Amino acid sequence: MTRPAALRWIFLLLPVLVAALAACFALSDEDAIAGGDPASRHGMAPMPGNVAVPLKWMPPGALKQDPGPSPVVFPPQALTIRFNHKKHLDSSLGLGCKDCHAKAATSNSTEDYLLPQPQTCDGCHGTNHDNKAEVKAGGGSMGGCAFCHNGYKAGDGNRVARLVLPRANMIFSHQKHVVRNIGCDKCHGAIKELELATRDQLPRMNGCLHCHEMPDSASQGDAKSACETCHIKSKNGEGVLRTTFASGTLKPPKWLNNAGHTPDFIERHKQVAGTNSQVCAQCHSEKYCTDCHDGRVRPRSIHPNDYLNMHAIEARQATQRCTSCHREQTFCVDCHQRTGVSMSGPANLRNSGRFHPQKSEWSDAPRKPGHHAFEAQRNLNACVSCHIERDCTGCHGARGIGGGFNPHRAGFAGGCSTQFKRNPRPCYVCHEPGDRTLSQCQ
Amino acid sequence: MRSRSPALALASAAFTSSLSASAADYDVTSDTAAQFYDVRSPTGEVVYARRRVTTTLGVGAYNLVRQVDKRRLGADLSFVARVRYDADYGNGGFTDPGDYGQFVPGLSRGPVDIMYAYLEGRRLLRGWLGFRAGRQYVVDPLGWWSFDGALVKVTSPYHVAFEGYGGFEVRGGLPLSTGRFERDGIWRGDRSGYDPTLYPSFQPTSIAPAMGTSVETAGWSWLNAKLSYRRVYNTGSSNLSQFQSGLLTPAIYDGMRISQERIGGSVNFNLSNWGGVKSGMVYDFYGSNVTQVFASADVYATKRVTLSADYDYYQPSFDADSIWNFFGAEPMNYLALRGSVEATEKLSVSASGYGRVFSIQTQPTRSNSSPGLTDFYNPSVYPTNGTPFDAGGTASLRYRAGTLTLGAKGAGNFGDSGQRVGGDVYAEKLISQRYVLSGRGSLWAWDDKLRTNRDSVSGGYMAGIGYLLGERSKANLEFDHYMNSLVGHRFRLVFSLNVAVTP
Repeated sequence: MTRPAALRWIFLLLPVLVAALAACFALSDEDAIAGGDPASRHGMAPMPGNVAVPLKWMPPGALKQDPGPSPVVFPPQALTIRFNHKKHLDSSLGLGCKDCHAKAATSNSTEDYLLPQPQTCDGCHGTNHDNKAEVKAGGGSMGGCAFCHNGYKAGDGNRVARLVLPRANMIFSHQKHVVRNIGCDKCHGAIKELELATRDQLPRMNGCLHCHEMPDSASQGDAKSACETCHIKSKNGEGVLRTTFASGTLKPPKWLNNAGHTPDFIERHKQVAGTNSQVCAQCHSEKYCTDCHDGRVRPRSIHPNDYLNMHAIEARQATQRCTSCHREQTFCVDCHQRTGVSMSGPANLRNSGRFHPQKSEWSDAPRKPGHHAFEAQRNLNACVSCHIERDCTGCHGARGIGGGFNPHRAGFAGGCSTQFKRNPRPCYVCHEPGDRTLSQCQ
Repeated sequence: MRSRSPALALASAAFTSSLSASAADYDVTSDTAAQFYDVRSPTGEVVYARRRVTTTLGVGAYNLVRQVDKRRLGADLSFVARVRYDADYGNGGFTDPGDYGQFVPGLSRGPVDIMYAYLEGRRLLRGWLGFRAGRQYVVDPLGWWSFDGALVKVTSPYHVAFEGYGGFEVRGGLPLSTGRFERDGIWRGDRSGYDPTLYPSFQPTSIAPAMGTSVETAGWSWLNAKLSYRRVYNTGSSNLSQFQSGLLTPAIYDGMRISQERIGGSVNFNLSNWGGVKSGMVYDFYGSNVTQVFASADVYATKRVTLSADYDYYQPSFDADSIWNFFGAEPMNYLALRGSVEATEKLSVSASGYGRVFSIQTQPTRSNSSPGLTDFYNPSVYPTNGTPFDAGGTASLRYRAGTLTLGAKGAGNFGDSGQRVGGDVYAEKLISQRYVLSGRGSLWAWDDKLRTNRDSVSGGYMAGIGYLLGERSKANLEFDHYMNSLVGHRFRLVFSLNVAVTP
């Protein structure tokens, strides 16, 4: 097998290799779910033994293969207490969500701290948190500091580990949802079935969209679908969403408009942008797009090093891809003329740049790869990136104008009247007004 | 900055009765890039030196109105504009059309154009109305396009939005314009100062009335669908005679005529647990044919893995003034399989393999001839295989950890006309929140089957250093060095300065 043939097979087999890699990761995912660190104490994890939470108890919108809430919107937490929601919400105690999270009903900002103050616990646990410098333990096993505070050590200055609960990087009003009678479980899942509530019990964007899918013109009471309903706008002008946070860069999940920003997304983003460019415009200003689509500096993410010297190979195979950013007559031709690649460039440069095969192969029969008719039929755009009309008319213009070699495809005469009626200009370039052939289209 | 112009205040009052002035956001941005490199011919000699300076200046004013209740999403007005100066001091500066040896028609040494400048209103009339007025882009299933005019969008509460626009296509040769958004096939520009017999293929530019409409879904995240129609006219005169010496006497066609009339639709449907499907097509009314079809299916195999298949159909089409619409170009079909793995939060990998099948004429097209045409009747001159194909693939890897980005991207393209294989590796690191170090290395080999002695292996590297002047401002210097057997050593120096000022 020759080297090029071997390379071709390698690239054709790449998807198979990726599929194999995928299978490996799929298995590793299952292993992660099946394993886990069995906890001896309750309230240390959402489920006893830290087993996976059943999907039906997860926040609405959680997926079958749920990756968790966005780490950018909900930064990592440090939960240093244990707590068993299931036990507290048991009907025998008569407690509800609002008994501990009373502030949630009136909260209008994600900056509000909605965890209960420690004094809330005092009534049942017999503790006294009034003076945090001198917290007093309660009686019995439930009143000890170590009962709730993980890692508490007696004789260590009565210190407890700091609980870190960063604010969510989003706009959210609990109050708006509460007054609309949207229960806690509609966003957080079945907390009453779980022990410790973790980041995993924070809302999924996919769940928000169950309601937030109303157009802007829907009545004021409905949940808008506009991204800035929940996402923070950039404070640096730009008129777009803020995407850079200390917790990372905000990017769309793969299920949102099918626009996951994978390493090859730049090569297939047109399918998303063409259908709904407003989705892109939420995070990217026009300047971001024009840097490539109307840019003047070669984008390295698209064109590799030394692309100037090797672009012809790729262009011949897929010039139609080039035209998404480059117009042939004003980008390609301009440069090809100056470098002498083009037939119609300055006369003193033409000989240096001729790069077609010899006439015996390029123009004479038979038509095979390397013959200009073969190449033109295969990828006419490649021809247009160098040539102007005159280059073709000399041979393909009808007799009296050119050599009379017919360039039209089979059946052309049967449908050309539409074109002639709407714009006869190109017809007259090659045919005289009285040309008998032209009358077939008139 | 809290002041608003009277005009904007009037506009906002006209559209919204329950709005009041609020703090607006403004920015002024400027991007400048200076590039220095030599362009060599395919046989290696330096043809001309490029000494390019491109600078843009943009202004933006956002949130010009805001609702009294800041917690409620309301109407919005914004204005954005960007002007560009794009100079190449190395192109020789030949400005005399009579200088046949050096002059390139249509090439301007330092053109200035307005990239975009428009006033935009959103969510007006309780969310029903949006508009744009000025020079603006349109991105739809028909592609990326620009026009001067007005666009109105009506969004109904029933998940359907309608859009209509009218104006003039942005065309090269007109003041403060670029030819980037015209359809291909016509070499067009400002012919003022040219003798009519000079460069007859270089067509005079003229205004191009344009109009279009769209209907699309609104609000849903699981379904986006859009149907777009666009019509553009050519106006003014056009040279028909292609030879200045005149095989015929010079002839001019003059009058309003179609430039393009196309309709395109696309659908993006997604099921968050399973995957998604995207598809679309474009029909060209002038050519009476389907010019583009695409379809893509993604399957979320696991939470880390997405497997995909892509299909593309492409039939070349051009501006209706162009003769190439009538050439026997055949369609291309492209099929690719892709896979993407988010191995960890930091590491992701993508790879694809593709086949691209072309159609080629294998039989004579006509059984009778006319005095004006010559046809090839001999079947033996035609190829026996009517579906030659190319194949290849890509592989990408990206690793992001904090302020470090590492990546690699490789590609292979194989076919009758040539083949290319190789890849780049790159790295970027932010140091001390100020300094950006970047580097890129590459190794590529290509084989040009259409001409001997143009095969080569290329090695190269880039080294860059940048300094963050602010959150959106950066100065950067990059040095490129490429080596291949065709042109020897080639160097490139790129200096860029991006500045953003926000009050």
